[in-house]
Amino acid sequence: MSEAGTIQAPRTPGRRNVPRRAGAAGSKRRRELLLIWVFLVPSLLVFFLYRVLPLIWNLVLSFQQFSLFGVTRFTGFDHYVDMWNDEVFWITLKNTLIYMASAPVGIALALAVSLMVNSEVRGRNIYRTIVFLSYPLMTVAVGIIWRWLYDEKVGLFNFVLRSLHLIDKPLPFLQSFELALPAVLLANVWQILGFYMIILLAGLQNIPQNLYEAASIDGASGRQQFLRITLPLLRPAIFLAFVIGIMTSFTSFDLVYVMTQGGPSHSSELLINYIYRAAFELSRIDYAAALTVVQFLLLVVLTWLGNRLSGGDAGAVETD
Amino acid sequence: MSVRRRPGIAPARRYSHWPIHIALLLVSFCMMVPFYWVLKTSLTGENIFVYPPSLWPVAPHLFYYVDVWYYIPFARYLLNSVIVSGLAIVANVVFNAMAAYALTKHFRGRGLIITLLLSCMMIPFQTTIVPAYLITGKLGLLNSYLGLALPTFSTIVCIFVYKASFDAVPRSLIDAARIDGLSELQIIMKIMIPLSTSAVATNVILSFIWSWNNFLWPLIVVRDPQMQTLPLGLSRFLTYHENTTGALYAFCIMVLLPGIVLFLLAQKEFIRGLTSGATKG
Amino acid sequence: MNAKGFVSLALRNRFVMVPLVLTIVIGGWNAYISLHSDGIVQGRVVTTDGAPVAGANVHIMEQNFTTNSERGKVVTGADGRFLITDNRSHNIQLRAHKAGMGRSEQQVVRLFFRAQNVTLDAPLVLPALPR
Repeated sequence: MSEAGTIQAPRTPGRRNVPRRAGAAGSKRRRELLLIWVFLVPSLLVFFLYRVLPLIWNLVLSFQQFSLFGVTRFTGFDHYVDMWNDEVFWITLKNTLIYMASAPVGIALALAVSLMVNSEVRGRNIYRTIVFLSYPLMTVAVGIIWRWLYDEKVGLFNFVLRSLHLIDKPLPFLQSFELALPAVLLANVWQILGFYMIILLAGLQNIPQNLYEAASIDGASGRQQFLRITLPLLRPAIFLAFVIGIMTSFTSFDLVYVMTQGGPSHSSELLINYIYRAAFELSRIDYAAALTVVQFLLLVVLTWLGNRLSGGDAGAVETD
Repeated sequence: MSVRRRPGIAPARRYSHWPIHIALLLVSFCMMVPFYWVLKTSLTGENIFVYPPSLWPVAPHLFYYVDVWYYIPFARYLLNSVIVSGLAIVANVVFNAMAAYALTKHFRGRGLIITLLLSCMMIPFQTTIVPAYLITGKLGLLNSYLGLALPTFSTIVCIFVYKASFDAVPRSLIDAARIDGLSELQIIMKIMIPLSTSAVATNVILSFIWSWNNFLWPLIVVRDPQMQTLPLGLSRFLTYHENTTGALYAFCIMVLLPGIVLFLLAQKEFIRGLTSGATKG
Repeated sequence: MNAKGFVSLALRNRFVMVPLVLTIVIGGWNAYISLHSDGIVQGRVVTTDGAPVAGANVHIMEQNFTTNSERGKVVTGADGRFLITDNRSHNIQLRAHKAGMGRSEQQVVRLFFRAQNVTLDAPLVLPALPR
């Protein structure tokens, strides 16, 4: 008798004859486990290589003097000290913070649009499509479009402003110290408005209608209903939109690169642009890694803050 | 996603819809103006050289589009973009479905993996560019299609979309299949996937849009003008020619069209993928 | 589901219809191009009165975004018409001149595809020099 032991299953008509081994459940379970891990490995490998490992390596790099061909030395906090004294870093940090701080404005705008789209107007699907159409576009193309709109000589905005006699001379939007960053910001809001709207719409539709009915029976006005029912129940969606808004200060790399290349003297340069420049144009990979560490910390802190302010909800919006 | 009849304020109160229509029309107008202006410039180009620009197209023609096709290696850029996006889509659908199926089963460490994936969502791509470049270099994949597509081979959002779809398949169906002796692979191919075509569509759309529009990663990885994708080609065209020709805007329109067409075809799937879990994976 | 039912279901699916239509359109367009791209350009040269000019030289120039170069020259026949048979570009400029009769304006000919066969509507007009 072999070690595993072979037990023949009783032959029943209509059932396949499956020989079972003692411990069959164990080896079947092992096979299943093997399958599970085999199925998980490709995705996990991609995430390990391109999310987890880079995060750790960034941290390590930020403490080193990295060299591709020579010797990599450990340099402690040198890069962070350089950063502290680096004027460009503070400018780009300020620009990034301004970008992030403007997210609530975009969200408020999107909330207004969502409320309108959610009401029972006819053709609301068409409005929704039109507003959302700007999101799936290539950001480089969006940057070129807006660059053209802002053109000093023949741009549409200058034309309209001058036609309405609001200004005498054309405004050099993308070449001015004060206007370059707001100009890029406006292009970003244009593109992301649809995304905010979609998230807020999903949140609005998850609010049970009987709450409103009960409230109106109790005599609550529309404004009270909005403040007491809609807003609190929208907190997860608003938090999600806020996180997206913070991330746009990273994804706007394309816009800044195409529209202003960092603008007149870094006035429209974002942290992500500085990181790219430091790593790939100034060949300071280790310094760029340190900058990335700071950027990531900023993201984490702001997300945590937003989470606290929106009631501690994790934020993912459930679909039906 | 159907917009259900659910107003954000009291349904009992009758209010006129006209102010809402006007406001929405205004918003739609603002959103559409950039499209219109670029379309007009790509068709006429006269407002590049003439001020004040006319608001309607003057003598429109399609010859800027012909210029874009012939004067720059548009076909080459298009081919590169298509190959990279194709790789990304195929890998995405396969890997995400596999991972999601594995996650529908119960095993030790499942909770840990899920938490890990959720926290990986918080790491945006832009915070990984420096090491990702070094890793790709060490793998010898710089300036190659695989290197361009590799970071986008799997997205966490789509894994969870698949998982939700797989979880919705009735257990009785799976059990009956098991009794009939179907192997795991057959169960996936014959039952799970056909019942999850919506999730597959979502995955395809999302991975296409993200890999097609991706600019930063190709900018870092591509060293050879022959390997440039469309966004890089567009940016390079801008650098060389700036505002001297309407062909730049024709290039923009040509580049935007696939995204717009795909979006209009598959709005529901696209929106579903975006709302079911958020930030870019 | 039988084959006929499957096909009719597939055709009604927008994910099948749109790529199918696109493929047909692109295939048809390419077929049209291959049939009409011999590089033939026909035109004529006249004076300001409309009289045909024989023996005028028509210069062909090609231009891309930055450079402009001369590609060749043809001569009009007795009826003032000229025929170019080796045009390989989609954007050429033509200018006629004849000794003693001055030069015409430069006429830009933009085509939809390279070497498209085209017959020019507007003639090249030579200003007759004052006696």
